[in-house]
Amino acid sequence: MNKTKKHKKSEVYKRSYLELSNGMIFEGRAIGADVVVSGEMVFNTGMLGYSEVMTDPSYLGQILVFSFYLVGNYGIPTIKKGFMSIGHESSSIKTQGIIVSDIYDDCYHHDGDVSIEYWMKCQNIPGIAAIDTRYLIQIIRENENICGRIIPEAANLQDKNKFEFLKNFKNNEYVDPSKFNLMPSISTKKKIKMGIGTKKVAVIDCGAKWNILRMLIERKCEIEILPWDTDFSSVKCDAWIISNGPGDPRNTGDLVNRIKKDILNLDSPVLGICLGHQLLSLAAGAMTEKLNHGHRSHNQPIFSLPDRKAYMSSQNHRYSVTKNSIKNDWELWFENANDGSVEGLKHKEKPFISVQFHPEASSGPNDTSWIMDEFVKLIK
Amino acid sequence: MPILDFLKFKNGKRQKVILLGSGALSIGQAGEFDYSGSQAVKALEEECLEVIIINPNIASVQTNSGTNRKIYLYPITPFWVKKIIEREKPVAIISSFGGQTSLNCVIELNRNKILQKYNVKVLGTQVSDLEISEDRYLFAKKMESINLPIAKNYTVLTIEEALKIIDNIGGYPVVVRSAFTLGGFGSGLAKTSLELKRIVRFAFMNSSKILIEKSLYGWKEIEYEVIRDNVGNVITICNMENFDPMGIHTGDSIVVAPSQTINNFENNMLRDSAIKITQSMNIIGECNIQYALNPKCYSFYVIEMNARLSRSSALASKATGYPIAYIAAKIIIGFNLLELKNPITKTTSAFYEPSLDYVTLKIPRWDLNKFSGVSKYLGTQMKSIGEVMAIGRNFCEVIQKALRMVNESEEGITEEIFNNASDEELEKELLSPTNLRIFAIYEEFKRGKSIKYVHEKTKIDFWFLSHILHLKNVETKLINFISLQSRKQKFNINNNIYTVFRKIPKYQLQYLKSRGFSDFQLTKIFINTSLNKKCKFNTIQIKKMSLEIRKLRKEFKIVPVVKQIDTTSSEYSTESNYLYLTYDGIHNDVIKKRNSKSIIILGSGSYHIGSSLEFDWCSVMTSLYFKDKKKDSVIINCNPETVSTDYNASDRLYFEELSFERVLDIVDIENPKGVIACMGGQNPNNLIRFLEDEKISILGHNSKSVEIAENREKFSALLDDLKIDQPEWISAISVVEIENFVNKIGFPVLIRPSFVLSGTLMNVANDKQSLKYYLSLIKNISFDFPVVISKFIFDAKEIECDGVAKQGEVIVSLIAEHIENAGVHSGDATMVFPAQKLYTHTVNIIKNIVRKIVKCLNLHGPFNIQFIAKDNDVKVIECNARASRSFPFISKLSGVNLAELSCKVMNNENIEKILFDESKIPYIGVKASMFSFQRLDGVDPIVGVEMLSTGEVGCLGAKFNHAMLLSMEATQIKKPKKGILLSTGREKDKIKFMEVIDNIYKFCIPIYATKGTAKYLKNKGFKVNTVHWNRDPRAVDIIMNGSVDFIININKNFSVYELNNNSEIRKMAVRCGCSILTNLEKAISYLKAYDSYNELYQMKDCIYL
Repeated sequence: MNKTKKHKKSEVYKRSYLELSNGMIFEGRAIGADVVVSGEMVFNTGMLGYSEVMTDPSYLGQILVFSFYLVGNYGIPTIKKGFMSIGHESSSIKTQGIIVSDIYDDCYHHDGDVSIEYWMKCQNIPGIAAIDTRYLIQIIRENENICGRIIPEAANLQDKNKFEFLKNFKNNEYVDPSKFNLMPSISTKKKIKMGIGTKKVAVIDCGAKWNILRMLIERKCEIEILPWDTDFSSVKCDAWIISNGPGDPRNTGDLVNRIKKDILNLDSPVLGICLGHQLLSLAAGAMTEKLNHGHRSHNQPIFSLPDRKAYMSSQNHRYSVTKNSIKNDWELWFENANDGSVEGLKHKEKPFISVQFHPEASSGPNDTSWIMDEFVKLIK
Repeated sequence: MPILDFLKFKNGKRQKVILLGSGALSIGQAGEFDYSGSQAVKALEEECLEVIIINPNIASVQTNSGTNRKIYLYPITPFWVKKIIEREKPVAIISSFGGQTSLNCVIELNRNKILQKYNVKVLGTQVSDLEISEDRYLFAKKMESINLPIAKNYTVLTIEEALKIIDNIGGYPVVVRSAFTLGGFGSGLAKTSLELKRIVRFAFMNSSKILIEKSLYGWKEIEYEVIRDNVGNVITICNMENFDPMGIHTGDSIVVAPSQTINNFENNMLRDSAIKITQSMNIIGECNIQYALNPKCYSFYVIEMNARLSRSSALASKATGYPIAYIAAKIIIGFNLLELKNPITKTTSAFYEPSLDYVTLKIPRWDLNKFSGVSKYLGTQMKSIGEVMAIGRNFCEVIQKALRMVNESEEGITEEIFNNASDEELEKELLSPTNLRIFAIYEEFKRGKSIKYVHEKTKIDFWFLSHILHLKNVETKLINFISLQSRKQKFNINNNIYTVFRKIPKYQLQYLKSRGFSDFQLTKIFINTSLNKKCKFNTIQIKKMSLEIRKLRKEFKIVPVVKQIDTTSSEYSTESNYLYLTYDGIHNDVIKKRNSKSIIILGSGSYHIGSSLEFDWCSVMTSLYFKDKKKDSVIINCNPETVSTDYNASDRLYFEELSFERVLDIVDIENPKGVIACMGGQNPNNLIRFLEDEKISILGHNSKSVEIAENREKFSALLDDLKIDQPEWISAISVVEIENFVNKIGFPVLIRPSFVLSGTLMNVANDKQSLKYYLSLIKNISFDFPVVISKFIFDAKEIECDGVAKQGEVIVSLIAEHIENAGVHSGDATMVFPAQKLYTHTVNIIKNIVRKIVKCLNLHGPFNIQFIAKDNDVKVIECNARASRSFPFISKLSGVNLAELSCKVMNNENIEKILFDESKIPYIGVKASMFSFQRLDGVDPIVGVEMLSTGEVGCLGAKFNHAMLLSMEATQIKKPKKGILLSTGREKDKIKFMEVIDNIYKFCIPIYATKGTAKYLKNKGFKVNTVHWNRDPRAVDIIMNGSVDFIININKNFSVYELNNNSEIRKMAVRCGCSILTNLEKAISYLKAYDSYNELYQMKDCIYL
């Protein structure tokens, strides 16, 4: 049963430091790889799904703090041959590093190959354990923009070729990844086709989670994953998905303009998810704003305005569409029951729908998976 | 539409709603319903409803009277509820806050068309859906209709059918259950056809329908708590995972919340199903769904659903901070989740699934060694009677905390329970678990066994076991360190724990603390490792020594931090006052320095025999009093079933251990004005001397008074000084000493070992043989563990006086009498207030004695003194310098709130003496004890000096007879219908019993009697069927074949021989669900009460508080 034999656990206690841009320093135990990284500090309050979260492309460039007291409980879900294994949302870890209160460095689950530390080491991802994460989260919550650096004892520098945006990162500096266009780093370099079906869906890959693709395939769609800088006017499809992804929606080059020009003038169904929702809204003339500390959890309460039906949703975003900037041809579809922020929009005439939360969940609750059904139904 | 139309204020009047409680606490149905019930009352009253509460559990907070509230202390049966409906004409009734009892009652009221007749609507989930959820067959069909897997079960009506069905199921092992039961009663696991036959036979005695299903032994057992509103919004509040896999009842399992070993996919698979189930069952309010999850692949079975608040929902509520019952109550009267706010954050939506940044762990509390004859093995039938919950930031911390909480000790998992056990014994413990299995697992690891080995024997998930192994490794490391040090230098007692622990690197000491090692535990490990094994220390000495570690820690600044439970994992800032302590952190969530204003109230800890709801009532009253006085009330308690741990019962709640160390920690943080330890029962009271030694201000009695009252020798000397009579006694340290004493005073004598609580191993010995036998049960009689032997007085009345004193002056004292003669533990006795059968002179003597004792002990707070009286001869048997079990009963009946009065004293307010006129009480109250014998297979249901009851009721009547009948009905003593079996004890008792013999025959049902009793009755000219021990017709046979349903079984004396003789009859009576009375006075009072039976049952009026 014990699958940790694959790597030898080190008994040596190694220190690591978390330095914050507000001057605070936390000391903890080094976990994962001995690499110095920097990034935007964010926290997630989901209690499960760390492997999904860490591979979620939307976390690119961020140092993620888990609020749950222990991370790694069930190891890392088995990576099966082929692709898109359950428990993974992309092919590699996208967070810069993780901060946890405690880590479980074993794997006994039937669907698990390796322990989380082994996984992190293999992918050169550092982390720190034995941090008062509850306190750290309060600091992140109370400070609007906070970046951090993970500095393990005897550390190496991060390989800056890993992602394109890292070239902008200077050693000994705090860098906020959202200041850069992250699309070239995260989007696919070439078009990929998958799925069999009569409905052809083009997925604009801004960092799409695998579960969006899985759900479309399950719903008998033929999908084509497009690089972010594809010439959309040349694409032949029945419907569009603008995917989730990292960063500031306004920092995406000419993407918004091209969506406006090449997609919104059509009548094919469009679904925007998370960053895709923000891009679609910007293209439709609305504005976006930065939330105080974002929504990153599995328990964001939302409700649809037409029938006031409520759903639990999985979310991961910092930016949000400004409510009073929504143009007249669009209507508010979903709202957050906690802070009233915009959670979804619908075009009044055209089959354009757009949601801030993640109908594909993974990780988190599947309450809104029906959005995908709705979307596929819209495709003629 | 926030509130349903028919519930709205109409014509300037509040609408009436009936809320059913759960009655007396019993195994499977305990304090959790007081917690959910009182939250419901709060939620309903806020919406301008008049709440009519029906619940005979007088010690509950729920049955506190208030404006716009009526309390009916009646049995929760369709008969009485109907009567109250006729009288009150409510618009609605609520069934979901009183457990299985209230649910069954409402289903029956609906079936009898009573609700329809009086146009009473059922709020929440509708009865038709409740019926589906309660019937396993219908439920299984429902699950199949929505494509959810459910373990195939088959209904059988005969034993033959049961045997036949096995092939369809796929062979043994199978689980046998009876329909319509709670706590898994009548169920069991059968691995062979022989076992199956045995279990099925007993199951048929209580139910005509038996269900047989495939056993999922060893699968993970996972529960979800779900809330759904009337527009179909659903949230799952929390999931919980059992440490003990399928095969052990959830109520008897160690449970963690949230789940620890399942992944995101599994969680959402089960959560999605939970939502699907609640939608298809039209749940409105709260429900709980249990699953068995395959540990080897992605598959599961639905086990069951409870469409009501439950023990698990109370636990989930305390584990997450989300007030489930409060929100559920708002939902059933019409609110939807979006219309409500999360009461913890006050700003965010109630449509919310809490996120936890900590882990909680529940351990059940068993008192199995109190029940002679009961198997200690755990299985599908629940046996525990209480529970504790620990909160922390890692699993090791919570398991150690919880073990301390539940064992009322300062130790944790390192407690050496199995250190002398053989390997075979350990293996047996793993295979057939008792309540101590966790210690056996630890011992196995100490002996070098692997996780795999333990997993194969126990099926407990590797994840849990790996943490226990880790703790063992941590301890071993410490032991090695200490022995290395002790090789370097010789240690003695004074030289010294401080120096050794100082040598441990700071971060390692911090780590030990963060993994839940208490100072006491560390001290003990130090002693065991470094000092000569011959040096023996008692708990008190070790406690004192552990202060050295405390001193060192403080120098190192290794102190626990305070964390909030806020439902949001800190995503939002909240003012939550729900707190816990952990060493796994560096920052206090609550840091305001308080200017010595707060009052710390020590709660009662887990419910167990001898300490139950009543002490929680006292704690809650105390907290609310000081909250009201703006005194900053702070509660420390660790029992999730209580009202005192509700989020608004205090200004701050520390959900924490009631250990010496933890109380000191909290005192350091709070810097309180004082600590109140006399309202939570015996456990907190035991801390007083230690706390006072640390210069902590104790409100109420000072430690000297408490010490004298509790130390038999000192108290006895005091009584002698005051010339107050007491039964002769001796504190003996050897058997010879005991024999000499008994030779002097003669039999019978009462034996009382000193090292156990609430009467364990207390016995009355009638002759030399019994004395020898009982003494043999007490393994250790020595200077450290003396045994108290006292003269036992037959045929004497027992009387209790509850009161409050201020600086040695009695403020009020109220006297109640027991129906049973002395010899029945006061916690098991039936109590009458105001006393009915006392001579005025006796009362005067008692009041005089009370004054003397109070004066001499200089009592300052609540007290309880117990007496025995024969004619006008009054002897004192016990004095408790604390609130007593009968406080709520006496307070509610007399209208003098003894708890509140005690608070006034402790708050140094001016109060006048109260001269209470008992004749002004318009009714008579009878407090009766509830026994859970039915749930404890093999128990001998005899009441005696050792307390066995698990709960109590208090019923009112215009006459004593009324109150007596009601309280008996409320404690499951049912009117005989089929036949009565008598054995009425000694000649003297037989004569006494003739007083009520006419009432026996008035039932017009067959009367059976054992030989002696039958002969006596025949001589007097009564018709009676004789039964025998060992030849036909046998007594046990007529019980088993259902000829009798009511048994009076009085033993002649306390000899072992006599007790064994009758125990077969009594045990069979319990197994067959008969009503049984084993005390002469109680039986006579009960039968005499039938004089007023028709009067009571035909009366239109009901009495309410």
